[in-house]
Amino acid sequence: MPASQNNIPVRLLLFLSLAIAMIALLLWKYRTLLIQDWGLTATLLIVLALLFLYLGFERSAVSVREIGVIAVLATVAAVARVPFAVIPGVQPTTFLVIVSGFVFGPRAGFMVGATAALVSNLFLGQGPWTPFQMLVWGLVGVSAGFLGLLAPRTGRIGMSIFSLVWGYLFGWLMNLWFWACFVQPLTWQTFLATYAASFIFDTLHASGNIALYMILGPQVVKVLKRFQRKLVFTITPTNP
Amino acid sequence: MLETLCYEEKDALLQNSHPAAVMLFLAVLFFQALLFAHPLYLMGIFIIIILAVVVSGAYEKCEPYLAMSLWVAVLLVIVNTLFVHTGQTVIWRSPVLPVLGRLDISLEAICYGAVMGVRFLIVLLAFALYNAVVHPDKIMSVFSRFAFKSALVLSLSTRMLPAVARDLTNVMEVQQMRGVQFGTGNLRERLRKYSWLLEVILISSLEGSLQIAEAMQARAFGSGPRSRYQRFPVRPRDGIIGLASILSVTLAVYAKARGFADYVYYPQLGTLAGNFPALVWPGLIALALLPVVLMGWGWRHCLSWRSKI
Repeated sequence: MPASQNNIPVRLLLFLSLAIAMIALLLWKYRTLLIQDWGLTATLLIVLALLFLYLGFERSAVSVREIGVIAVLATVAAVARVPFAVIPGVQPTTFLVIVSGFVFGPRAGFMVGATAALVSNLFLGQGPWTPFQMLVWGLVGVSAGFLGLLAPRTGRIGMSIFSLVWGYLFGWLMNLWFWACFVQPLTWQTFLATYAASFIFDTLHASGNIALYMILGPQVVKVLKRFQRKLVFTITPTNP
Repeated sequence: MLETLCYEEKDALLQNSHPAAVMLFLAVLFFQALLFAHPLYLMGIFIIIILAVVVSGAYEKCEPYLAMSLWVAVLLVIVNTLFVHTGQTVIWRSPVLPVLGRLDISLEAICYGAVMGVRFLIVLLAFALYNAVVHPDKIMSVFSRFAFKSALVLSLSTRMLPAVARDLTNVMEVQQMRGVQFGTGNLRERLRKYSWLLEVILISSLEGSLQIAEAMQARAFGSGPRSRYQRFPVRPRDGIIGLASILSVTLAVYAKARGFADYVYYPQLGTLAGNFPALVWPGLIALALLPVVLMGWGWRHCLSWRSKI
């Protein structure tokens, strides 16, 4: 993994500028249609974003061991959605996606987040929330991955703040689609009303994230780092 | 909860069709629900999706979604009453409330909320139907043609999930035997108990992941170009489903682009059926999808159809 991710900041910039250019172009081209149909546009953009993120994973040189570890992390993150539901607001999936991304990098982080969302919903029930959870948890993983690359020494406090921010952002991004598709007119008042309705849940999610990181974070990061070292070992043939 | 898939074998037509065709059909329904805000158009699509749910025998699975969309409808009526004061047909005027002032509940707000509730229900049902008729293995096998790494991660994860869920129950029971009581203690203590659980399950599953990887490597995974085996023949039914979906979506986009499907809710509800040709479009769009439902019915009731489609 490390060899293919040397010039991360350059790629990140390139990717971001491309994405922004694409969105701007789309908005400009269909500006009259879009004003009536934000819901459809938002959906389209989400599908496109997911496609590109998956494409990135497909094109990377990923080993069998990495695939195995990503699948297992995603499975644990998916399973953890159920038992913790008894404690309000605690969402271990977000926590696990953050630590996976932090240790294994943005690409693995995206896959863990997106897969956890998709697979857990195969059992819990798919809905329009599925693509959104895939994208948002995927982005949680990507951002944690970049945090891990740019500031690998981020400590307990830094990671807690990061988890807190994602606790709120998660709900806010999920609200966005609902607001764009089903609420009309799209004004600041309705926007704030939609967001106020979810504020308590977002706060619970954010505080749950911090609590989980405080209790489990450092140990789990340590465990994952040990596995990461196991992943990259290579067998050198003995000299004849 | 996590031990069985939502998918259940019911011998429905959509379960026995090419997964790509079914995906296209459901995607068209989803797209049209977001495309239209006109009540008649939404009603046409709604009828089609309800019929598709019934002929697929997925009704029980879809029932909980009904209540959810009712809540959304109520929420939207509330939001619109609070923030949109342009509705002209006032049904009930509230006394002056603190902070909010006088609220007018208008016919427009209620109609808008109800129609958006239906729209939300169509979207929900499209996903619920997907869950009920497409086996995850089938769709992954289609995707593995062009995205085999992602499809592999997904199918590995789907396969492992019930096992990890069982492991979790086991670990929980072992801990309970040793005196850990998950239901007691304050929030902090309970969180701590569940966190141990998470750590144990994470470590044991990660050990398993390396074994999976080694097993795959031992079976020559990644040693050369990949071969694949296509299990799903394209049969007449897949062609009919595909054609019906494409025809319907073409009609829908045309009607939308020509402005037949525009409808205003505020300040006063528009007329539902303006001129005659505009009224025909929602019917045509729904009619184009009807063959799928008819085939689904025939699959159950006219056994001779099965061999022909």
